Amino acid sequence: MSEEQTLELLIGPQHPGSGHMRLVAEMDGDVILNFEPNIGYVHRAVEKIAETKTYVQIIPLVERTSLPDTANHNLGYVLALERLLGIDAPLRAQYLRILLAEINRIHSHLYGMGIHGNMIGSTTMLMWAFGDREPFIELAQRLTGARLSYSYIIPGGVRRDLPQDFRNDALKALSYMERRLKDYDRIFVHNPVTLARLKGVGVINRIDAARIGVVGPNLRASGIAYDVRKIEPYCIYPDLDFEVVVRDEGDAHARLLVRIGEIEQSISMIRQILGKIPDGSILADRYLDLVPSRTRFEKRSSVKFPALFSGLKPSKGEAVSRVEASRGELFHYLVSDGSTHPYRFRIVTPSFKNLIAFKHALLGQKLADIPAVYGSLDYFPPEADR
Amino acid sequence: MKPKDRRAGKLLGLTGHMQAIRSGIEHIFKPRMTVLYPEVLQDLGPNYRGMLKLRIDICISCTLCARICPSNALKMVKVDVRKYPGITYQRCIFCGFCVDICPVDALEMSGSHDAACYTLGEQVLKPEDFSKDPVIEDKPRVKPLFDEKRGLRYESC
Repeated sequence: MSEEQTLELLIGPQHPGSGHMRLVAEMDGDVILNFEPNIGYVHRAVEKIAETKTYVQIIPLVERTSLPDTANHNLGYVLALERLLGIDAPLRAQYLRILLAEINRIHSHLYGMGIHGNMIGSTTMLMWAFGDREPFIELAQRLTGARLSYSYIIPGGVRRDLPQDFRNDALKALSYMERRLKDYDRIFVHNPVTLARLKGVGVINRIDAARIGVVGPNLRASGIAYDVRKIEPYCIYPDLDFEVVVRDEGDAHARLLVRIGEIEQSISMIRQILGKIPDGSILADRYLDLVPSRTRFEKRSSVKFPALFSGLKPSKGEAVSRVEASRGELFHYLVSDGSTHPYRFRIVTPSFKNLIAFKHALLGQKLADIPAVYGSLDYFPPEADR
Repeated sequence: MKPKDRRAGKLLGLTGHMQAIRSGIEHIFKPRMTVLYPEVLQDLGPNYRGMLKLRIDICISCTLCARICPSNALKMVKVDVRKYPGITYQRCIFCGFCVDICPVDALEMSGSHDAACYTLGEQVLKPEDFSKDPVIEDKPRVKPLFDEKRGLRYESC
């Protein structure tokens, strides 16, 4: 055959290198002409299942959309539900919520960085990042009782109070992480191999990033300082002093640096929270009054649910919430018809919004850049497919 | 790229490689966060949401646990005249909602999460079996302690 032809290359859907999805790349030699991610392999109909469950039962369900990032998903759903119920959490509970959310952000970014390192051949980074998740998972476990699926945030508050010694343990874990970030810098982040693989690869420029609607660290790496925690602050973020980490380059390496910067910001935020967390109740009085006094949380480590939680009935209406999850802006939309089940529930996850970045970032790149760009976007297929 | 720049770039690359190698070598001699599971088990702490136990003498058969269970793992089963919760660990997701909603504290969680069985049937527990203590393996245990230099340090307990 003498005529030149492009080649349609299928990558996946078996996991290594492609995630739970299939990548269809149209190749001209080694250069990508067109790139189509083919998603839906881990679709679990979370939204439809939610319509068959009561409002409190949905809490573990929304966490399953994104297991590395459960606290933020839990928080987003509960904020929407609280708007429907017209209830606010006490201040201490709000501090505890953000404490868990930021711990979760650190170990979720470590997860993403580890996978990214593995994809471009730095197995050391995978092992280190996954090992260093452990102190934060252990912290979260002492606070909530579970390692990943916390189900910690409930309407009107949180389930458990800070355990004894938590403050000291957390401060130790944080200074350990700060020390480790310097190690990461030498062995991975500014390693010449990493620089050669990631610098100038998969560039999404500022205008494109805004136009196609990329969110989260990927957007901030393209020079746009958009963070829901600043734009539309929820819980106690207005009281916390933190910066939105922004880079202008828009390439795979900038996205990595933004995540490192966010880990540093989260460390500083957790220190602030531990320093000024107020005393008080961790469940709204409206629910606390329904619990028999002998099982109130002052006498035990966790709150008791009122029996009402088995069939919460919000009034008719709809509510939305926006939170900044680890991978970007997370949107929940909840419609109530006055019964015990939601009439409609919609989640727009950050990974779903970031998916389109594949098509833009990979055009004109080489085949070997696919894993480098894939890892840098920190795309999590189960989160996008829901 | 001018020859001079190229030389500078090479030098920068070389120092980068040397730093990475030094950093890696340093870590060969540092102790690691490792638990030799399953020979050694990690102590999960008093608040861990592990396998459940029913205290059948306290249970008032209010059905709240079965109603809040998000995965239908808990079901009310008839024993003599009253109904008590039975559980299937094929479905349980260890969220602990049933424990937290029980008005009389008849359900409690243990620090064990090893729910592995030889047959599926063993994971379905009737109220009588549900009120027995979950099997806790008799193996050496280690307790994780936080450490500024090592992250986590495991001490036998």
